[in-house]
Amino acid sequence: MRSLLNFLLRFKTLILFLVLEAVALVMISTSHNYHQTVFYGLSRNISGFVARRLERGTYYFRLRSVNEELVKENTLLRRRLEGLTAMPAEGFSGVHDTISGVNYTYLNARVISNSVNKQKNFITLDRGSKHGVHVGMGVASPSGVVGVVVGVSPNYSVVMSLLNTDFRLSASIARNDYFGSLAWDGINYRYAKLSEIPHHVTVSEGDTIVTSGYSAIFPAGLMAGTLTGDQNRGGDFISLEVMLSVDFKKLTDVYVIGNLTRDERETLEEEVVK
Amino acid sequence: MNSILRYTGAFVLLVVLQLLIFNNIEFSGYVNPYVYVMFILILPVSIPSWILLLLGFLTGFVIDIFTGTMGVHTFATVLAGFVRPWVLSLNVTAEAAEGDMSPSSSRSGLRWFFIYTVTVVLVHHLALFFVELFSLKHFFHTLLRVLLSTAVTTFFILLFDFIRPHR
Repeated sequence: MRSLLNFLLRFKTLILFLVLEAVALVMISTSHNYHQTVFYGLSRNISGFVARRLERGTYYFRLRSVNEELVKENTLLRRRLEGLTAMPAEGFSGVHDTISGVNYTYLNARVISNSVNKQKNFITLDRGSKHGVHVGMGVASPSGVVGVVVGVSPNYSVVMSLLNTDFRLSASIARNDYFGSLAWDGINYRYAKLSEIPHHVTVSEGDTIVTSGYSAIFPAGLMAGTLTGDQNRGGDFISLEVMLSVDFKKLTDVYVIGNLTRDERETLEEEVVK
Repeated sequence: MNSILRYTGAFVLLVVLQLLIFNNIEFSGYVNPYVYVMFILILPVSIPSWILLLLGFLTGFVIDIFTGTMGVHTFATVLAGFVRPWVLSLNVTAEAAEGDMSPSSSRSGLRWFFIYTVTVVLVHHLALFFVELFSLKHFFHTLLRVLLSTAVTTFFILLFDFIRPHR
């Protein structure tokens, strides 16, 4: 007993060191459900408050590029509107119903905290459950896909960025509709990999990559990036390098995308698969 | 008592600097300076090693809470606190070993302080970047990030050491 005490006293620093490191490792390994913890909610409110103050100061300097991006998007939307007004009403009824075709709603939000330098990057937005944001909603900027909401508090929400090695997006090649899985490999924040594309598909540099619409999070056809021409053959599939359309270092204004019929769709899919 | 207050002040200042300024520095995704490690470096030479470990844990934990990287900074900073006494004893000068002095370049020379700083910062950054990645997949890419970030962190710590008030 005494020699045990002596032993413990002699190595107390080493033992304390090992205990503290073990605690840290446990914290790391449980961090995947970290966003649900109460503790994180508290720290998010404090750091969200600070980040919002900071963001207000720096936002002014980016107004020019934000404006350019918005004008570009406006033009695109106007063109699409022209096409829509000419379209006949959906369904068997001849009545023109203005809300029958609407599946997605958009809420504008401001990015108040963002990073590109980690393996698992998250974005904080200044909108929360008070404004109707829910976990699982998609987030896009005027230039393309940004991420998915993974945590909300009354005033803020945290988005898992596309620049997060855990993020997977169902994306397809716009020209021929072949779909695969888009994920970031953690190296360069401008590029991601589109994998699971079959060998026989011909692709060329500059092909547009858009969301496939298979996941109920994003509408189909939302811009994600363009092919750079680099590809990796091997196994049954090829993986293609994609230059992301969103420059995550310049992210300021985004849309949170709500799917009005998501519950209906998921219930149906669950029922049938069961 | 007075010195506890001073070190608390240094702690708050370094954490605030880290969160508000240095976390926003990201040159091409390679350089991420983590200057808050300086707190571990400037604690008095005579501090008991178990207090050093606990302070390392506290520092890393606070940074983790605010950056949302649960445990990663805690792990790296506890390790930095653990190796500090070793680095001090390997690299000892008569003056630096004295009592409740804070290690600094003005007391022990720039060369001495530089080697001391670089060693501890390198250990901290190695642990930080590799634990964050949790694999050796992009080994050389990560190693490059570690080395560049260590250089920048060391630069800022030396700079702060010049301008901090010495008793």
